[in-house]
Amino acid sequence: MRLRFVSFVIVGLAAGALALGTLPLAGVAQDAKTLKLVFASAGFDESNRFWVVSRPDHLQYDPFLETLLEVDPKSGEYTPRLAEKWSPSADYKQWTFHLRKGVQFHYGFGPLTAKDVVHSHSMMMRPEATATLAGFWRQVERVEAVNDQQVVFHFKRPTTVMPYAASRAGDLRIVSKAQWDKEGQEGYEKRPAGTGSYRYVGRQPGLSVSFERIDSHWNNEKPAFKELVFRIAREESTRLALILSGEAHIADLPRELQRDALKRGMKIYSSSFPVDWMTVYLGGQYYLPGDAAFKADVAWTKKPVRQALNMAINRQELLKTVFAGKGTMTYVTGWSEQSEGYNPEWKSRFDQMYGYNPGKAKELLKAAGYGPGQLKFKILAFTEPGESEGPQVAEALNIYYKDIGVETEIQVLDWAKVREMFRKKAIGCCIWPNIISWRPSEEWIRTSYYSKSPNHHYENEFIDKHYDTLTKTVNPQERQKIARTIGDHLFEEFADIPLFWFANEVVANPKVVGEWVYPGLAAGRSTHFHLVKPAK
Amino acid sequence: MQRYVARRVLHSLLAILAMSLIVFSLARVTGNPLDVMLPLEATPEDYARVSKHWGLDQPLATQYLIFLRKAVGGDFGYSWKWHGHSAMGLVMERLPATLKLAGFALLISVVLALPIGVLAAVMKGTVWDSAAKIIALLGQSLPAFWLGIVLMWVFAVHLGWFPTSGQGGLQHMILPAITLGWFQVAALMRLVRSSMLEVLDSEFVKLTRIKGLSEWKVVWKHCLRNAAIAPLTFFAIIAGVLMTGAVVTESVFSWPGTGLLVVDAVRARDFQVVQAVVIVFAGIFILTNLLVDILYAYLDPRIRYQ
Amino acid sequence: MATVTARSLPWYAPPRMALAVRQLRRYPLVPLAMLTFLLVIPAVLAPQVAPHDPLKGSLANRLKAPAWQEGGSLAYPLGTDKLGRDILSRMIHGARVSLVVSLVAIVVGGALGTAMGLISGYFGRWVDAVIMRLVDISLSLPTILLALVLVAAVGPSFATVIIVLVVLLWARYARLVRAETLSIKERDFIARARVAGASHARIMARYIFPNVVNSLVVLATLQVGYVILLESALSFLGAGLPRPTPAWGLMIADGRELIVTAWWVSMFPGLAIMLTVLALNLLGDWLRDHLDPKLRHV
Repeated sequence: MRLRFVSFVIVGLAAGALALGTLPLAGVAQDAKTLKLVFASAGFDESNRFWVVSRPDHLQYDPFLETLLEVDPKSGEYTPRLAEKWSPSADYKQWTFHLRKGVQFHYGFGPLTAKDVVHSHSMMMRPEATATLAGFWRQVERVEAVNDQQVVFHFKRPTTVMPYAASRAGDLRIVSKAQWDKEGQEGYEKRPAGTGSYRYVGRQPGLSVSFERIDSHWNNEKPAFKELVFRIAREESTRLALILSGEAHIADLPRELQRDALKRGMKIYSSSFPVDWMTVYLGGQYYLPGDAAFKADVAWTKKPVRQALNMAINRQELLKTVFAGKGTMTYVTGWSEQSEGYNPEWKSRFDQMYGYNPGKAKELLKAAGYGPGQLKFKILAFTEPGESEGPQVAEALNIYYKDIGVETEIQVLDWAKVREMFRKKAIGCCIWPNIISWRPSEEWIRTSYYSKSPNHHYENEFIDKHYDTLTKTVNPQERQKIARTIGDHLFEEFADIPLFWFANEVVANPKVVGEWVYPGLAAGRSTHFHLVKPAK
Repeated sequence: MQRYVARRVLHSLLAILAMSLIVFSLARVTGNPLDVMLPLEATPEDYARVSKHWGLDQPLATQYLIFLRKAVGGDFGYSWKWHGHSAMGLVMERLPATLKLAGFALLISVVLALPIGVLAAVMKGTVWDSAAKIIALLGQSLPAFWLGIVLMWVFAVHLGWFPTSGQGGLQHMILPAITLGWFQVAALMRLVRSSMLEVLDSEFVKLTRIKGLSEWKVVWKHCLRNAAIAPLTFFAIIAGVLMTGAVVTESVFSWPGTGLLVVDAVRARDFQVVQAVVIVFAGIFILTNLLVDILYAYLDPRIRYQ
Repeated sequence: MATVTARSLPWYAPPRMALAVRQLRRYPLVPLAMLTFLLVIPAVLAPQVAPHDPLKGSLANRLKAPAWQEGGSLAYPLGTDKLGRDILSRMIHGARVSLVVSLVAIVVGGALGTAMGLISGYFGRWVDAVIMRLVDISLSLPTILLALVLVAAVGPSFATVIIVLVVLLWARYARLVRAETLSIKERDFIARARVAGASHARIMARYIFPNVVNSLVVLATLQVGYVILLESALSFLGAGLPRPTPAWGLMIADGRELIVTAWWVSMFPGLAIMLTVLALNLLGDWLRDHLDPKLRHV
């Protein structure tokens, strides 16, 4: 008797399981009037210590910690925010900021004064500071609070980059000295006070960060959504599931999945400006005379080989297949149309010099002494959360190079390993695609091409000399000229394989999210959540 | 008995020490954490500064000794990725989530395995027995992460019965627990089946010869003691398997437990956290084994003299 | 009660077919058949059987649906992945990869474990204690963590995956062989061999080992499936075989984000793993039941 019962139960379960297969797909969850906006993010270094976190991870501070200057969502210009006015000294070694009156910190920590700015900068000077611009902030000799509303940064050498660094695109978050004095580090960990239109509520490590709207903001910002939550989900399919099931309203999805989300009625919200670019870097290009790390047998130390490697790639097809067509061309690595020293000629000459021409590529290789099958090297690939296309691009390159008789082997490493290799100048074996965020030209040149910086992507005396001049020049026209000279040089020399510029694209549920304009250039990429308007 | 226990405890401590050495060297072999911590703009001075701050500029042996000294006191240092949190603190924060999940998974596997095992034993040799075996084996043959993703898509997205990820209430636990637990169903089912068979056999044989309660008591006492040994081994093994299986499941469902913690930590080269997690996992595993061994020795006196 | 003997039963002469079928029934036909088609034939004859080159793709053909779906074609019967490579060909070559990885890992791990187990069980005392502690430690190493950390250090490659698997597998063999050795070494024929002057090595190799082989075979068969699953889990976490190897686990990992629309990229390799491991488990179960009932606790 009991056995019959048990067997019936099992059969019943099996039948139920089969029946489930016939159920139709549930529609996307309807959220009529949500007061809570949930953003599904790929993840970030969770910490309340803004001075140890890199620029993209400032996403978690954007709603509640503010900066001296704003990045205009439509024009990308630096506009007043906590600072009403700012100006450099004649020699660009001092930068003076006039702070707004009447800005209050959250949780009753009083008004914003120059002392808070001095204090916030001092956090960047701590020994554990690993913020993206920590190196830049350490160039500051001292920060002087002239009076309650005026603060002066004294630099060791002239700089024109200060507006960028002090803006929403940089990483100097203004925090409360009063809170630090009263509650110390612990207070910052538990409940940091900021000046934004959202204030910090709490964190669940590994899971989410939450914010809530405040009643009166100094700029009368009134976010439409009372609560804002950043959900962390490392897996792409989990983020897609979150937005399709209605648990999240905006999601950071890779291009592959954006298509699926679009099919189910989601919309793409793109940043106003391109934010990151992808380039394939060629290792081993150390052209300073007498550099021991330079190995002449690295094929692409010959310019024709570099050109051939560029001409073998069908960029249009690559863009369409790996990136779903979402991107614009990069003509010189690191330069966008907004960059200092951008030269429109690059665009018109690009096709002739870098365009897809496998026949010519094969000829160039042969002339350089590399017949079919004679050139072999490695392509290094790695993925970062939120940037999954590296290995795909590597595999696509493998196929393109095979077509011109070049053998490549793909090695998947982690980013830190690859970085160690180019830091140690031990990367002549390989090429590697990488996605990097926009920064001002001088910063980019210093990071990538200046020989005294640890990265050594392509260095020679010409660039070093011009970079030195650039750092000493303050006249904007002069600077444009010098930056353009360096850019031209990189263009002519085929320093690497530039690919595409990408805007930041997130997917949102049109039933919840109406309009949202954000620049993408602000630290964190997806920013200005206070501008998200609800759907009608 | 005491000597046996003492010996086993000593061995366990040695094992944990060895684990710490292995983990320490492995963690350091994965490479320089500074390459993950520092931005692209960092200069050699920045590298030197941060290296000094975290004590990474010391020779390896010194680093290990410092690590040991602090570890004995329970201090595993501060995390490099989750700034401001202590490594052990993070592990302890996330451990309950993993234990909850593992416990629930164990419950689910018991709930699934018991009826299937009983059915298979009672209907031994028939098609039900084979069917039960196949259902259980199916669970052992599925890649766990694949199962998790499929479950998530069918039940969470298509049907909307459960949330897709994260932690919240009971409903958040069900899909990950099934993913984690189903694998054990086969082994447990087999155990239930064979124990049932033994009991059934001896029951029938003894039944025909029962003269009084005393024999019956003897049978049950005998059965229970023997029957208890096998599931005990099982639970010990389970402890280890569930915890490591949790790594994959937690990744798929974004379940904020120690499994997800360690994957993030390895990726970020956060040695401190990796060390803490591995030591805790190994510690739990070794402890469970120790307890099981002691229970064994209690139940089966022969073992004590090995 | 009258006893029942063979003579008292009516004699039915079974037809030849029934007899033959009854003979065949003694072998685990279903699992063996499954394995032959899913694992052995593809693994051995991969280059001949696979319709396309598993490594060559064309971006124009990416994410084509399987032949019976809209947009599919018979040229790519199970569809293509996101780089335009044929899924069926990759699965066939994947069988070869899975088989090679598991065989190498099990042979090396098994050999190491057997040697350690023999030595440990035979010599006893401190050698035994040391080796058993090593076994304990090895079994308490968190599997996947170890792999993650190791592969993060050295980068994914065939060798690293094998090393990780061997480190994880050897202990179980050692334990099993040791247990068997302990019970065998007390037997008479061993004592006789020792008296006759046989060296320790000879005794272990020629007398003890052959008696241990049965259990080894069962364990090995059961482990092939486990190894295949482990490799796929490692690939999912990025700690498995290197791209563009057509390994099943790697294929599932590649397709996991596409599970909604391009479900075939993950589904078919997943099915392949499931059926192969199922067959192996069934085979192992059968072996366990038929070769040596003592091994119930293996």
